[in-house]
Amino acid sequence: MTDTLRPLAGFGGSEGPAVRLRAFSNLLPRARLTILAATAFIVALVIMAAAPHLFTHYDPLAGDMLAALKAPSADHLFGTDRLGRDVFARTLHGARYSLSIGLGSAAISVVFGVLLGLLAGLRSRLLDEAICRLFDVISSFPGVLLALLVVTFLGAGMENIAIAVGIAGVPKFGRVVRAQTRLVRDADYVTHAAIYGQSRFGIFARHLLPNVLTAVPVVATVYVGTTILAVSGLSFLGLGPQPPTPEWGVMLAESRDVLRVAWWPGVFPGAAITLTVISFTALGNALQRRFERRVP
Amino acid sequence: MIFGPLGRRILSRLGTSLVVAWGSVTAAFLALHALPGRIEDILAGDLDYPGLREAIAAEWGLGRSLPEQYLDFVARIASGDFGVSYVLRQPVAQIVGSQILPTVQLATTAGALALALAVLAATLTAGRGGAARSVASTIELTCASAPVFWIGILLLMAFSFSLRWFPVSGAGGWKALVLPSAALALPTAGLLAQVLREAMEKTLEQPFIVTVRARGLGEGLIRLRHVLRHAALPAVTLGGWLIGGLLGGAVITEKVFGRPGLGTVTLNAVLTHDVPVVLAVVLLAAFIHVAASTLLDIVYVVIDPRLKAQ
Amino acid sequence: MIARTFRAPSVAARAMLHLPLLGIGLLCAAAPLTKAHAEDGGPRSGGELTFGVTTEPVCFNPQRSEQQNSFILIRNFVDSLIAKNADGRFLPWLATEWTVSPDGKTYDFKLRKDVTFHDGERLDAEAVKFNLDFVKDPANTNSAGQLLQFYEKSEVVSPTEIRITLTKPDSALLESLASIRLGILSPKALKSGDRLCSGGPALAGSGPFLFQSYTRGQSISLVRNERYGWAPGYAAHQGPAYLDKATIRFLPEYSVRAGALSSGQVDVIEGVQPTDIALFKDQPGFQLLVGPSGAQTSFTLNINYTIPPATDVRVRQALRDGADIDGLVNAVYLGAVRRAWSNIAPDNPFYNRALEGSWGNDVAKANALLDEAGWTGRDSEGFRTKDGQRLSIEVGYPQPFVRDNRDVLIQGVQAQLRKNLGFDLKLRLITGGEWAQQKANGSWTIYPNTYLPADAAQELQGNIGEKGFIQAVADKGDKELFSLINQALSATDVEAKKQFVDAAQKRAVDLAFIVPLFSANYQLAAKDNVRGLSFEAQLDSPASLHDVWLAEQ
Repeated sequence: MTDTLRPLAGFGGSEGPAVRLRAFSNLLPRARLTILAATAFIVALVIMAAAPHLFTHYDPLAGDMLAALKAPSADHLFGTDRLGRDVFARTLHGARYSLSIGLGSAAISVVFGVLLGLLAGLRSRLLDEAICRLFDVISSFPGVLLALLVVTFLGAGMENIAIAVGIAGVPKFGRVVRAQTRLVRDADYVTHAAIYGQSRFGIFARHLLPNVLTAVPVVATVYVGTTILAVSGLSFLGLGPQPPTPEWGVMLAESRDVLRVAWWPGVFPGAAITLTVISFTALGNALQRRFERRVP
Repeated sequence: MIFGPLGRRILSRLGTSLVVAWGSVTAAFLALHALPGRIEDILAGDLDYPGLREAIAAEWGLGRSLPEQYLDFVARIASGDFGVSYVLRQPVAQIVGSQILPTVQLATTAGALALALAVLAATLTAGRGGAARSVASTIELTCASAPVFWIGILLLMAFSFSLRWFPVSGAGGWKALVLPSAALALPTAGLLAQVLREAMEKTLEQPFIVTVRARGLGEGLIRLRHVLRHAALPAVTLGGWLIGGLLGGAVITEKVFGRPGLGTVTLNAVLTHDVPVVLAVVLLAAFIHVAASTLLDIVYVVIDPRLKAQ
Repeated sequence: MIARTFRAPSVAARAMLHLPLLGIGLLCAAAPLTKAHAEDGGPRSGGELTFGVTTEPVCFNPQRSEQQNSFILIRNFVDSLIAKNADGRFLPWLATEWTVSPDGKTYDFKLRKDVTFHDGERLDAEAVKFNLDFVKDPANTNSAGQLLQFYEKSEVVSPTEIRITLTKPDSALLESLASIRLGILSPKALKSGDRLCSGGPALAGSGPFLFQSYTRGQSISLVRNERYGWAPGYAAHQGPAYLDKATIRFLPEYSVRAGALSSGQVDVIEGVQPTDIALFKDQPGFQLLVGPSGAQTSFTLNINYTIPPATDVRVRQALRDGADIDGLVNAVYLGAVRRAWSNIAPDNPFYNRALEGSWGNDVAKANALLDEAGWTGRDSEGFRTKDGQRLSIEVGYPQPFVRDNRDVLIQGVQAQLRKNLGFDLKLRLITGGEWAQQKANGSWTIYPNTYLPADAAQELQGNIGEKGFIQAVADKGDKELFSLINQALSATDVEAKKQFVDAAQKRAVDLAFIVPLFSANYQLAAKDNVRGLSFEAQLDSPASLHDVWLAEQ
């Protein structure tokens, strides 16, 4: 079977965790510095998401309409948007929404992907075949179409977008876990364990699971970045989180109409997305290298 | 045997493709009918007069039970009849058919462009270190993590509105295709270049390169003839991604540039519950998916003959 | 039979004498708008024009389309029986004159003799009858059927005379016949099945341009109808159009349309982002034209007052008065549109001007009303509560209808109500399907909309009447409001109709069944050399390109 070689239909057209992952392993010769920077940025994001009000006294939702589209200044570090809301405050608060959608959808993909992948890898051929076809069905839906169906079905809210993007990612994780499971299952040391009389469950818990699951955080970390990009695409199509949510993708999509007169409502959330995507990817890459070193 | 192992693999692929197509269409059919709102209410919109809803229901056979509608649908598809769009009121085959060419045009141009840019960037900078490599890497990363619509609007502002080199879209021949393809290609090119470079750098460390160098081949030729070929496998995987996500990226590109294509048709069809059109697009996507992965299998074998043995 | 003859001035025109229109409306629509350039030497034939528009129509058949923006395109190839002038009078078009019986139930029309459809068929009484009967028949599921609810039958009196009989008087009939939605198509085309939605030459009307081709997702192309000699009464010239060809391009992105015009790739655009107005207004080489707000309703929050907490008039009034609508509209639209006082638009002769200044922007009173209604608690986010329940109402905005920064404006109202009152106005973009479902069972809470151009009484009926959005729960609705609207609809006398329509608007605003926000208008930006652009009074939207010509540059 060649499932691992199949094209994994990308969300929005181009991002593939596995691919992206490898992309970065050579990118940074001073890797340690980069990992440090990426970790620092993600920690900062988490702090921002947890307590955005520590850094700004502006309300991210209510603005002064008379102070709309003001350029960055000491008063408004990142300027104000069309409704006079402080872009700095919205970018800070946005960390919470973008991160939770990213982590939430990655969690959905991981949980279902791992479960189905393990089942497919361990159990009968029939079940394997059925699950693989299910992955095929999911990934044959163009990402946007799948998200559209889910969003029109459940309504366009934060949770539903996470679900939509999460479902699209299930085959990615499923295929990785299935392939890993098969590798481990057929490995010599597992066969030996069986010969030495360890119970099925014991083998599974002691040998299989840890090995299989090592691969998952890597892919998941990278997938968080992909998700944030996907959400901004959905926002562009009017299917993102509901206004006035200060989610970065929403902010970026909203800013495009005023781009000609004001660069700041778009550039700051845009930079936040880019840095977040890069940081998560770099971190995922670091995890992978550690993983590779352990399992030669 | 008439078919080799590859032939058999393709045959079994075609068999499973039918299963996948059937699964996708059934899932979409169920999802569309589970969506909130009766179709006759949606088609009537804000308007109402006595008899309107009943007439709409009768027109599209919406009064029948769901299993009946489903069986009828499957039977019609099997005989090659995709029905008539509820909203656009034209044969679905005609609507989808007229939009395939622009989408394929956009996708192939974007794919070729992405490949060209990536090969160029990777060949020039792989294993060389220094400023050029860092700059290229930064640009690639930024492209890969920027939303397509954003890239599209920026490209338009620079190259269409300010410099006036290319039209937004429409009647302009190849010129109208440049900016939309570039918008769709850049994020992919960014990723592809990173992957290629990594693979090339790994290959450059291989012993056989030393041998080749010893034969006195020029560095450029070494890179093009030997290294690139060895680095092609991961790039081909990514190529599969491009095809798989084609419709997704196209929706946004089409909207930004006012281009015809399947993306817009799909988006509108889902938003208006245009069941026949959505189902046709899902079917098409399933077949593209299967065809692309089959094609990919063949390409793998061509590139790396070792796989034939498996 | 004694009949009143409605040549100009009509009854409507007499009504107008009492109701002077706002200056801007007259300015905008009565005469061609482009700057007068005496040195141009007048209109000249020839040339091609490219027009960038926001919306690709779902359907090009005027009798079926429900998209206001589709009519901008359709008007170029479809004519109506009569035409509505900017001053509210009805003028000849395919019909040269008409009479109405004293009981208001019989209309006699005389038709032009020289009209041919694009497919070569002749326009005669039989063709008009076929059109009306076709639209009226529910089996054909035409949206325009709604305009003919009191239509009983048509009789062909002679090839050029047709008599329309109604089941009861309909004060809106002339308005409906002037509407593009009852535009007259070739019977041969109508009989050919319902593929007319996709346009092209098969969609044969009698307009100044032929619909040559349609490239889905990109553009349509029009070529001049050389035989055209039956322009509407308000047209600036008779005879064929000036332009040889016109291409209408679909460019849904604001910044892309503006960029396409400023870089010379298109000649005219519709839908100008407020922040882009400065690029074209009074700029050398460009012009900006603003259309009237009379035909559509103003953008209005319709409140479902049968669902708590909106059942309490004090809550509704607080919602109405808690925000500075003037300030918000100005901030979002930068002076490009007017703030609304009623759901009937200000350039409409049936607009109730007395409502201006009668409500809005009174935060202290709004807070007092909410205190009095018992919403005195506050939750952790600062919203008012009563018995532990947050004061919250949801605006369900169907995603397909969102445009024009209208969601931004609602967000502005939302932010102010939150800050000023502790009122949680939720905004949720819903699907068309969800809205259809909410309307069908009466569970919607606030529905923001503008209504398709129609007669004022019909607009009220379709929005806040017993046949309006509240139809499913109309038994719990406001009977007095319903009765005022029904009386307006069947009034045969314009003055009486005006009184009922006025009273209905006042009741709806006073009891805050509606919160009108702004009066939408169309904006055109064009190159300087494009002359003769105008707006159609019956639609508010850009008129056909019949009078448009290109000056030497």
